[in-house]
Amino acid sequence: MPKTSLDLMQGTVAVLILKALSWGAMHGYDISRSIRRRSEGVLGLEDAALYQALHRLERKGWIEAEWGLSENNRKAKFYRLSDEGRHQLQIEVTTWQRYASAVTKVLETA
Amino acid sequence: MPRLPARRLFRFPWRSAAQVAADVDEELRFHLDMAAQELIDGGWPQETARMEAERQFGDLETTRRVCRQLDVHKEKQMKWTKAFEELGQDLRFSLRQLAKSPGFTLIAILTLALGVGSTTSIFSVVNGILLRPLPFPEPERLVRVYPLSDAGEPSVFSVLNYLDWRKQSRTIEAASLLDTGSVNLTGTGDEPERLVGAWVSPEFFSVLKAPLLAGRGFAPGEDKPGASKVVVLTRKLWARRFGSDRGVVGRTVSLDGAPYTVIGVASENRWPASVDLWLPFELNERALEPKNRGAIYLSSVARLAPGVSMEAARAEARAIASRLAAQYPDNNTGYRMDMAGMQTYMVGDVRTPLLVLMGAVLFVLLIACVNVANLLLVRASSRESEVAVRTALGAGRARIVRQLLTESVALALLGGAAGAALAGWATRALVALAPQGTPRLEEVGVDSSVLLFTLGVSLGTGILFGLVPALRASRPDLSSVLKEGTRGSKGRVAVQARSVLVVVETALAVMLLAGAGLLLRSFGELVRVDPGFDPQNAVAFRLAPPSPKYEEDPQLRSLATSLMERMQKLPGVVAAGASAFGQPLDDNDFTLSFNVDGRPDAAPGQEPSMPVAAVTPGYFRALGLQLLRGRLFTEQDRNGSVQVAILTQAAARKFFPNEDPIGKKIALGWTSDGARRGGEVVGIIGDFKQSTLANDADPQLFLPFDQAPLGYLSVVIRSTVDLGTVAAAACTQVHELDADLPIFKLQTLEEIVSASVAQPRFYMLLLGGFAAVALAMAAIGMYGVIAYAVVQRRQEIGVRMALGATRDRVVRMVLRQGLVLAVIGAAAGLLGAFLASRGMRSLLYAVSASDPMTYAGVTLVLVAVAAIASYLPARRAARLEPQLALRADV
Repeated sequence: MPKTSLDLMQGTVAVLILKALSWGAMHGYDISRSIRRRSEGVLGLEDAALYQALHRLERKGWIEAEWGLSENNRKAKFYRLSDEGRHQLQIEVTTWQRYASAVTKVLETA
Repeated sequence: MPRLPARRLFRFPWRSAAQVAADVDEELRFHLDMAAQELIDGGWPQETARMEAERQFGDLETTRRVCRQLDVHKEKQMKWTKAFEELGQDLRFSLRQLAKSPGFTLIAILTLALGVGSTTSIFSVVNGILLRPLPFPEPERLVRVYPLSDAGEPSVFSVLNYLDWRKQSRTIEAASLLDTGSVNLTGTGDEPERLVGAWVSPEFFSVLKAPLLAGRGFAPGEDKPGASKVVVLTRKLWARRFGSDRGVVGRTVSLDGAPYTVIGVASENRWPASVDLWLPFELNERALEPKNRGAIYLSSVARLAPGVSMEAARAEARAIASRLAAQYPDNNTGYRMDMAGMQTYMVGDVRTPLLVLMGAVLFVLLIACVNVANLLLVRASSRESEVAVRTALGAGRARIVRQLLTESVALALLGGAAGAALAGWATRALVALAPQGTPRLEEVGVDSSVLLFTLGVSLGTGILFGLVPALRASRPDLSSVLKEGTRGSKGRVAVQARSVLVVVETALAVMLLAGAGLLLRSFGELVRVDPGFDPQNAVAFRLAPPSPKYEEDPQLRSLATSLMERMQKLPGVVAAGASAFGQPLDDNDFTLSFNVDGRPDAAPGQEPSMPVAAVTPGYFRALGLQLLRGRLFTEQDRNGSVQVAILTQAAARKFFPNEDPIGKKIALGWTSDGARRGGEVVGIIGDFKQSTLANDADPQLFLPFDQAPLGYLSVVIRSTVDLGTVAAAACTQVHELDADLPIFKLQTLEEIVSASVAQPRFYMLLLGGFAAVALAMAAIGMYGVIAYAVVQRRQEIGVRMALGATRDRVVRMVLRQGLVLAVIGAAAGLLGAFLASRGMRSLLYAVSASDPMTYAGVTLVLVAVAAIASYLPARRAARLEPQLALRADV
């Protein structure tokens, strides 16, 4: 992983997980790999932070967990979005986009 | 690639903390394994791949800890949420089930409500009166001290004997004598008012140790003659007459025409309960005169010194009493003293009736629980097939038990809530209805611990009798229950269990009925007693002429004369009279010793004595007393003419057993103006009840008021017109005569008679009410059992009828079942009643506690009720169509 990766801000991990799960149920390892793949390695999401965030989201009821079998037939914990989580994802995405575009505007005028 | 799990392994059941930890470990291990495999696939050496994966993961241990914590919390939260959801489900389902059988639900709730409500209210009253300590600091040290009468009853002190005891006693911390009487309050702008005053020692407030609201208690020396006149008000009087104004302390009020300075206001907790104000008892020359050692009229209250037992104090009082007896043989021959705890003394009279009521109400609670248990059992067996179906459809045993239990608990709670509401209402009603003079009534309120206890009992019944059938129903022999028409022996066992409950219930109801019946019979006897006077068409009231204005005999004579002149003019008057003492059945305790001229003097302390009253000539006719021999008093029996006296028949019989009392001279141990009071017996009148209807008529002696005036007047007016009109006119006349003379205890003689039996009537009504409730519950219980048995035996009955049994025969068969239960229950109940009724002997008048009439009547009532309760299902059984019954489901 290149050292140029950005440190993630508080709260961003949640939205990334929710987004990742919006494509379907996944286990932790898959979530980690798909975020890395899609951000093309730019976002340095540490796995420790990912798992803590997963369990926090589960506690909040935004995602639900279920044991299942992985592609290599091992017992793995699968996460999926709850209805509440899906709703939350929309809010987070909107907020994030407005935030990012505001920051972008400021940076471009400078 | 997102993938759905290949298949669902399991939905998380509740996990322990260890399981949660294992799950977290497993999840992380899976991740690390995958990451290590990825490294190996990318060419990383196999030996170190795992370590590298852990390094890339980050802080593994912190993550493990945080995840475990989060999951444990989540687990707990879900557990509670789930439990509440299920409870809600169960509750909703229960309420639906209960609403489906409104009859059962209503009866069960009403039964419990009656049980809980009546038990709580009666217990609250018993607790307030009998059990709760008096509202004074260290109430166990408060005692009533008293001399004993010849009959061994608590009596009263004379001033000197009290003072001698107080002086010699070492076991007492503080003591006060007590004399109650009336005092007229005038000059505060309002109408004159007759108040109840208590004359006490300066130490009085240190005996009770009740703090004052304002001002101070009495100081030493305020009982000496010539000390400034002071008064302490009760809070009640302070609020009523002085608008709760703290500035009243230091003000002067007029009592019996004399100025008194208010020095304090007492708190809510007061004693005696009936008083309005306290005054110092003046130890004047007259009170301390040695010859007045025999004038007994004082009560006493004392606080034991710390660490002194009542036994020690009692032993000391006995020793002092025998010293006093030896020292003053003229007055104190055989002098004895005793003491009792203040609370025991206070509640002595109501103790037995309250304990009887408490027993009665416990029975009602017991019957209520038995009945509800019975109802639950019947209901459970009728739902066996429903439960079997649910079990067959896969409902877990625990869930079914919980469901059935929720239902009974919901029922118990509903009944309990209704009972609590009933308890609040009933307690207030009891306090309002209780006869006047019941001690400590003002302290009675719904007792929360009692309410909790009875709610607990009702809940316990719900749980116990909900659980037993629930457990049984949840593991029924599925095939046998589902299979039509098959009943195991279990059904018969259940019927037997219910029959036992009904027998118990019936027995308890019989006991209550017997108790109520005894009180009813006793009350009937009591009101049939001839009082000896005519209570109809007469009204009475009292006057307490204040002392300075009416101190001297001539003043009292002219007051009585003008009063009687005015009373004669009232509308429709037949006769009017006044007595210097109380009305019959109200109170009269002015007892004097006497000698008959020509008989040898009796030994000191051994003189005969009887109650004495001074009356105006019209008094006998106003009361409607009968003249048996001789003559009544006339207007000619005046002060200065020959002194005369009239005896009641009881007095003549007791004191002149073998001679004619007419013409005999009686000399009383009462002197005034230097002359001995008494007179020549000129007439004998018929006996009448002076104290209570239940007691034998006391011997009594009457003197003409003009020859023996006393500062107290009870007026009786017999009239042919409406008594209300007469009473109003009498008040106007009295007011015209002296505007500062308050009228009190204005009531008809019928009201006086009725008030004198208020207490027995109250107990009779209460016990009767409970008995009625118990009977109704027993009837419901019996109906339930018989009706259920009929349903169970439907097929058998159908077969019998098909084989030719007539409807009458079927009715008889079912009736017999009910009557057998009733007879067994009644027999047990009569035995119980016979044993228990000994406890109520003191409440009965002219009826034996084992009165056969009552017992027979009660048995008859019960059998009749049982017959009705079983006839209804019997008739239903007889109407069965045999074909339908044979085909019917169980």
